[in-house]
Amino acid sequence: MRELFNAARTGFAEIWAHKMRSALSFLAIAAGSMVFIDAFSAIVNTYSQLEQQKAVSGLARLKVTNNRSLSLSNTDGYQMPPVIDYEEVAALRRQFPDLYMVSPEAQDWREVLQYDGRNVVTSVTGVTPDWTKRDFIYKLRGRFINKYDMDHKLRVCVIVRKAPPPPSNDYFKQRRKEWNFTASFDELAAHNDLLDKTVKIGRVTFTVIGVLDALPYSERPENLLGYSNDYQVLAPVTTMYSYNMLGPYDSLEVNVDTGNEATFDETVRKIRNFFKVRFGSEDAFVIENQMGLIRERMAESVRSSLATVSLGMLAFLAGGIGIMNVTLATVFARTKEIGVRRAIGASRRDIMLQFMVEAVMLGLIGGVIGSVLGWLWDVPIKVILGMGAAKISAWIPLVSVLIAAFTAFVFAIYPAWVAAGLKPADALRAE
Amino acid sequence: MSIVCTDLAKVYEGGKSGWPALRGLSFEIRRGEFVAVTGPSGCGKSTLLNILGLLDEPTGGVYSLNGRDAGAMSDSERSALRLGEIGFVFQAFHLLNRLSALDNVCLPLLYAGEYGAGMRHRASELLRKVGLHGKERKTPLELSGGERQRVAIARALANSPKIILADEPTGNLDSVSSGEIMEMLRQLNSEGITVVMVTHDLGLAGRAGRNIRIRDGRIEP
Repeated sequence: MRELFNAARTGFAEIWAHKMRSALSFLAIAAGSMVFIDAFSAIVNTYSQLEQQKAVSGLARLKVTNNRSLSLSNTDGYQMPPVIDYEEVAALRRQFPDLYMVSPEAQDWREVLQYDGRNVVTSVTGVTPDWTKRDFIYKLRGRFINKYDMDHKLRVCVIVRKAPPPPSNDYFKQRRKEWNFTASFDELAAHNDLLDKTVKIGRVTFTVIGVLDALPYSERPENLLGYSNDYQVLAPVTTMYSYNMLGPYDSLEVNVDTGNEATFDETVRKIRNFFKVRFGSEDAFVIENQMGLIRERMAESVRSSLATVSLGMLAFLAGGIGIMNVTLATVFARTKEIGVRRAIGASRRDIMLQFMVEAVMLGLIGGVIGSVLGWLWDVPIKVILGMGAAKISAWIPLVSVLIAAFTAFVFAIYPAWVAAGLKPADALRAE
Repeated sequence: MSIVCTDLAKVYEGGKSGWPALRGLSFEIRRGEFVAVTGPSGCGKSTLLNILGLLDEPTGGVYSLNGRDAGAMSDSERSALRLGEIGFVFQAFHLLNRLSALDNVCLPLLYAGEYGAGMRHRASELLRKVGLHGKERKTPLELSGGERQRVAIARALANSPKIILADEPTGNLDSVSSGEIMEMLRQLNSEGITVVMVTHDLGLAGRAGRNIRIRDGRIEP
């Protein structure tokens, strides 16, 4: 232990005496450490997204839609492809009462909403109470649509107020402005408290029973599926069918959370069978395995991070070779010193230890500097660049410093061995 | 510590058949002696001293130190003997210029496993003994030649060696410093330390107890 301490002291003096050379030699190690931290924090972020997704909603999700590409038309005339209507969904619910969520939705894309003498364009989405079991990113005032509203086809609706959009580049801002045909609705909802008021949508009068305030983007969990619908007005899907806001040709998209990852595949098979029996053919509907999608996305992001990790490893390798080079140079520059130390009684082990400790110190310093740079890049700089801070757990820099030290250790073995193998008499004669 | 050499030879590699430095030396140095090894430059004096100090190995003959065959020792045994039993004084001092005089003297103590205040106390005692009290913090570059050699002697004495091997200890010094260093070596010899000194200064050699003259790798009768 004391020997280590002494070697460390000598090593530190030597590193300090050759600041430039030392800095150059641990630069590559620092780069490796930085890349490593960035890549690993990306992997950790991916898994924390997964955890968030699990917390907000389950992973065992699937989506059933009718097959829009199916054509049953023939020369005798046009024949509509089968649609999933509310009756199908209700039957699915009855058949599988254990499903955590069965949330159908259908959108009436373009309606005129009248309020206080103003007409604004909006879209109305027909939902069921289960809708709140989706990635629920709202604060609710008033109440949500309940079973009573559903059963009695009541003309009630819930208004969604948008959160300020996330910071993004000018291109996307421009697109959003061009395509947002409900901008005047958003403005109306933002500036008027519509709770408990009546609004006229198309020719039907609705009572606003709830207002959903969308959470700011910073507070939302990341959506691993990568897409989310834009909602303005939510109404019971039964009401919408009843008042012809949805026609018999409008098919429901059914989001299902089976609630159990372990039995997911089995449940998917059962649901597929269920619809196959209902429609008589597997061609009539499409089941999107969202758990599979999530897994794919995760694997993709982990793969790309691993590619970065391998870059980091290459940098470590280059750094290791740099350290080997500089240690060899040090050995040759200090051959005489080695001779002196051997003459006054240092053993081979002492000499080896000295150079090993020196190289490992270079690695450690490089690792620490790289960790600091990695943190600077991942937190403040990314925030400045608008990329959002990456999460860095404590173990990531720790591991990267350890890898840096280990790399230095491995690459210092040969130079240190050369140093220890010098014959004292020859070393003393060196100039 | 007694030194017994029998038919000692050393051939350096190079050329067709190598380059012989020592061609069969046999002599004995008893404990407590002060021996000067003299001869013209290139006659193999330093080579002999390196072998006696376990820095180099002979290519022929037997060197036994205190009854033990040096050829049979492992590297770590040789290191341990250099550390504890042998002290070196070189012509070019061979101090580490980065370190202070005190740290230079501490070096062998560190390798011997000493540490802390006790080690520093021992080192400053040694510096006082060689007359360098008050110059502990100076680096070798700030000291005169004679002072450097005294630091080297203090370093050689650090682990209380039984033998001091001095390789032209006065070669780089003026006559006054030479006289002081020589006196110091005689003083150490009188304390019971065996001193083997290589020199080509016959005047200094005359002040040693015994002379071994070497010419062309052989002992002159």
